[in-house]
Amino acid sequence: MLLSDLYLWLSYSHVATSKINRIMDKMSPTELWDSFGKDTRYSLDEKTLGMLKRTHSAEFIERAKYYLDVNHVKYVTRADPAYPHALAQREVDPPPVLYYKGDLELTREKCLAVVGTRRATPYGKYVTRRLVGELAGQFAIVSGLAAGIDGFAHAAALDCGGKTVAVLGSGLFHASPASNLKMFDEICEKGLALTEYPPDTHATEYTFPQRNRIISGLSKGVLVIEADKGSGALITADCALEQGRDVFAVPGDIDKPMSFGTNRLIKSGGTAVTCARDIFEYYSVNLQDGRKRQKHVTLDFSEQRLLDILTAGEKTFDALVETCGMTVSEVNTALSSLLIYGLIHQKSKNLYCVSL
Amino acid sequence: MLARINSYALNGLDGYGVSVEVDIHAGLPGIEVVGLPDTAIKESRERVRSAIKNSGYDFTPRRITVNLAPAHTKKEGPNFDLAIALGILCCTEQAGVDEHRKPLDTVGEYTFLGELSLSGEVSKINGVMPMLIAARERGVKKIVVPSANANEARYIRGIDVYAVSSLKEAAALIDGKQSAPIEKSDIATCSATATKEDLKYVKGQYAAKRALEIAAAGGHNILMIGSPGGGKTMLAKCLPGILPDMTEEETLETTKIHSVAGILDAYSGIVTTRPFRTPHHTSSRIALTGGGSGARPGEVSFAHNGVLFLDELPEYPRAVLEILRQPLEDGVIAVSRAVRSVEYPANFMLVAGMNPCPCGYYGSAKHQCTCSPSQIQKYMSRISGPLLDRIDLHIEVDEVNYDDLTDKSDAESSAAVKDRVNAARAVQTERYKGTGVHSNSKMTGEMIKNYCALDSDGEKILQNAFDKLGLSARAYTRILKVARTIADLDGKSRISARHIAEAVMYRSLDKAVH
Repeated sequence: MLLSDLYLWLSYSHVATSKINRIMDKMSPTELWDSFGKDTRYSLDEKTLGMLKRTHSAEFIERAKYYLDVNHVKYVTRADPAYPHALAQREVDPPPVLYYKGDLELTREKCLAVVGTRRATPYGKYVTRRLVGELAGQFAIVSGLAAGIDGFAHAAALDCGGKTVAVLGSGLFHASPASNLKMFDEICEKGLALTEYPPDTHATEYTFPQRNRIISGLSKGVLVIEADKGSGALITADCALEQGRDVFAVPGDIDKPMSFGTNRLIKSGGTAVTCARDIFEYYSVNLQDGRKRQKHVTLDFSEQRLLDILTAGEKTFDALVETCGMTVSEVNTALSSLLIYGLIHQKSKNLYCVSL
Repeated sequence: MLARINSYALNGLDGYGVSVEVDIHAGLPGIEVVGLPDTAIKESRERVRSAIKNSGYDFTPRRITVNLAPAHTKKEGPNFDLAIALGILCCTEQAGVDEHRKPLDTVGEYTFLGELSLSGEVSKINGVMPMLIAARERGVKKIVVPSANANEARYIRGIDVYAVSSLKEAAALIDGKQSAPIEKSDIATCSATATKEDLKYVKGQYAAKRALEIAAAGGHNILMIGSPGGGKTMLAKCLPGILPDMTEEETLETTKIHSVAGILDAYSGIVTTRPFRTPHHTSSRIALTGGGSGARPGEVSFAHNGVLFLDELPEYPRAVLEILRQPLEDGVIAVSRAVRSVEYPANFMLVAGMNPCPCGYYGSAKHQCTCSPSQIQKYMSRISGPLLDRIDLHIEVDEVNYDDLTDKSDAESSAAVKDRVNAARAVQTERYKGTGVHSNSKMTGEMIKNYCALDSDGEKILQNAFDKLGLSARAYTRILKVARTIADLDGKSRISARHIAEAVMYRSLDKAVH
């Protein structure tokens, strides 16, 4: 038996990866296969034994390989040189096999994980688009294809022509959520979608936290945009710390539940990130020609005045009208122009602030 | 002996003459009504019998046959009571005859409309105004209506209208004991009734108030998205106060529909204020579009030339919302039933309010939203793209600050806004004279090309807006139309860059980036 086939056997047995790795610490897959069923030299518990036994046949593995082949699912096992080096360390708990669609070479590039809550606020959406828009030029953006920040991160990376890697918590045939499936297809084509689970595996409540370790494992660092108390993004950040990856977090208002997690990360030693440059400097990335210079625009009187007011602090539309002494239509016109020039943005409903 | 009395019936908003023939002959005593009558007409024999008796006439115990000609159309309602009773009186020579018992010619000159009560009084009926207009066009000279409907009959010129309050008065009329026709008055003299809500009591919300002004000036449909308690409903209720005055033509059109439906105010007799209809979200499809076996008008037609306000838009059943598409596009709604098929005008301004998500607080500065993304998506997707496509202005309405609420000073009043709106409408009326279009919102593709030409600055800013804000293609013509209205409010004949810039602000649902 080829070593790669043995890893496939282990993967298809659906035994938890951590348990497989514990067994592998004691013996090689070849030893396990050969000694299997002959005697009870290796004490495995009933359940694991049963699961391994079910798939313990050369014929089964051949069928599985054929199935993967006809369904155009590629896979890479730990025995292959192409297996991502970043995952091969013990802390990551490397899965025996990775099933993927797309370009596996992306895992060799500089990767950065961008994660956050599923229940993103408009602010989170804005921050993700803005940061990822710049980061994607230098990093491959790794995320979890979930709704909310994960989805926005993938979308932003794809929009600006960057590379992106989606790590699934299910088999490739059961990608979720449905709202991101179109994007999933695009990622398979232009980026990379990978998972440790065989294609037919359904997601369970345990698989999602499990894949978080792969998200952080693939990346140099993890950027958390928004996270509330129990957010899965915090699990990813914990994994990152265990694996010796860097943790970045975007600070937020202290009274907003969706900023609770990120603020706590910063308190406990994470690096606060307010612009993409923070991350570039951390990794001493040299930008070829610096940041793209803002196209110079000439502002008329009312636009300049509004910009000055907003520079002093965010303001609601009503407050702007009251402070600036212009008519509603003038304020509307000027705000619209400033929005179009990209000098300000709408932080939430009717609340405007300057874009730095 | 046979008697023939003229009456009138309605088909949608159009009327047609009905000749009520009464014949008395030997047989078992009773009344038989033929000519496709509905239940209300069949019951009229009981009313007629009592009314005749209680007015002091004799009711003959013989066989009476009543025919409503033309016999092939289905007739509805109690409008023929008066004509049937008079027919019986003429037949029995108790009215409409001279001293030699010879039938008088005057009987044929009148057309009678009215429902009878058991006491012989003539009571109010529906649809008098459209019947009068139709009768006038078909050359009817004299028409008798219940005195309760006199107020609405007063505004139709070119036809003599006589108001009667009892069967006795009607009989006196055909006997030649002449009573004078009612005096006519002018629609122009009617002043609009004051609305209850005034913009000056709305604190803050400058953006929303400005958007309402633009919507009123151009007749644009508007969608208000905001958290509960933001004042969406109050803003909408202020709208009638800033809408432009109704023209005479518009008044008549709207009154006709209200008259048919029987929702006309009997005292004023005419609709002088633009209607503001607020059907609840439990309303059925038929209630909104009209229908039923008689193909009667519905809420969209009641709101003709006025406002249809749908609060909590996503709560309406999808099927109900989708049928709004035809009236929004064409300004008419076709109601087809087995009996008849009618086209009712339904040229209304759609004003809708909705929350941004099921809990109502998505994107709110003060509250935390508790909805999941899929819930929000599901909620928003209850409103179809084609419907959103037909809404020109989207605005976000946020909660008001406490400071604003307690502010003692009054904001700009509705009357001041209305003056500007009237001025902008006057410009539009002049521009679209003779095209059948009344407002910017109804511009055709060709008109957009002619009247919404952009200079290079305007084009540049629109191009930028599409690139930077991720506007969808459907936003393009909407922005042009709204910009046209903003320019009209500004008193400019050409659209300039700043008008475009402002119009872009009202497409919040189209912006890809929030």
